[in-house]
Amino acid sequence: MILDCLGKRCPLPIIELAKALADESIGFKLTLLSDDPASQPDLIAWARMTGNSVETSEANTFQITKLAK
Amino acid sequence: MALPHIFEVTWPDPSKLGADSRSAALLLNEARETFASHLGMRSDEIHFLGETNLGFHLGINGLMSGQRRLVYSNIDRMEVFAVAAGHPSKMLDVDPNGQIDFSELNNGDVLALQLCNRETGIIQAGIPDGPDQLAGLFVDATASGTRIKLPANWSTALWDSTSWAGPSGLGVFAVSKNANWSNPLPHLDGRVNPGPASLALIVASALAIDSWVADEKNLASKIAAINSEIRSYISSNIPDSDLAPGGADHLISASFLYVNAEQLVTKLADKGYPVDSGSACSSVNMQPSHVLAALGVLTQGNIRLTIHHAITFEEVHAFLDILADTISELRSE
Repeated sequence: MILDCLGKRCPLPIIELAKALADESIGFKLTLLSDDPASQPDLIAWARMTGNSVETSEANTFQITKLAK
Repeated sequence: MALPHIFEVTWPDPSKLGADSRSAALLLNEARETFASHLGMRSDEIHFLGETNLGFHLGINGLMSGQRRLVYSNIDRMEVFAVAAGHPSKMLDVDPNGQIDFSELNNGDVLALQLCNRETGIIQAGIPDGPDQLAGLFVDATASGTRIKLPANWSTALWDSTSWAGPSGLGVFAVSKNANWSNPLPHLDGRVNPGPASLALIVASALAIDSWVADEKNLASKIAAINSEIRSYISSNIPDSDLAPGGADHLISASFLYVNAEQLVTKLADKGYPVDSGSACSSVNMQPSHVLAALGVLTQGNIRLTIHHAITFEEVHAFLDILADTISELRSE
């Protein structure tokens, strides 16, 4: 699944990411596209705070894995 | 001395002849002595700046003769980054507590050192004990004010009058007699600052620092208690919150997931609470705070609190309840 948040400003990408993950089960993966300058630091902080995982595969592209309810 | 009276007695030029100018010169000297005694230096090491941030240029570039390397940290002020862009330089990283890793600092470097971070209150606990032969040490004391003593090996230092509740628009700049400093601005004489700063602001700021230092010890325990009250309230009552590491008790930076900082700051201002923010959506250049990013702290939904010395616990509790309500309102929108 690809969640396209290009052009959206913080905190929208992370709010939409949380909504997209809400009903999914542990282990669910998605690719988040975001060019907001706050997304890089904030996705790392979000993963730390919520217990999920994020990896930056290329510029503006983040691989998300749901690891926590 | 009340402010209108200060303006009445500070209009003459202290460098001219005549009785009025002589009394103005006396006021200037008294102010210089006041700052020297509170900031821990000789009065002839003190200079006043009408543009506080000019002190970053004077303080650092004045030490950069030859091909010296400038070393600074990734939570320094942007003004330091701007100066560093013109020199061979090395930016040091901080650990998650905001403490600088000095392992790459070498003998012969010029170090720009921030005693206290103005967004978070982080205080540098250890000044480098490795290289004891720095070519120069610029100290950014703009947020620490009178709270933290200068390191013994300082070369140049900068304070902001607002840090002791003095008037804004005045910087206090010092050049140590031991420093190998040369004026980086065009100059024909030995003056350190490019022009006279407002004598009225200098006198008002000297009065402010006097009363600040007199109250500082009495207020310290109250401000420390309010700081821990705010921190524990936020971590236990507001879910998905991220507190930046702190140090100086009057400063707190906190971020909240899924919250738009611009809306949060506006709503809090409407309810009578002016707070600052380090989030991208509330900044002029739409970039998140480089300090929060360097620390790995969430940058969205960020607010920066400065605890005013006259605030009461009742006011703090009222604010915290409003903060929690406003955040849950914004999250449910």
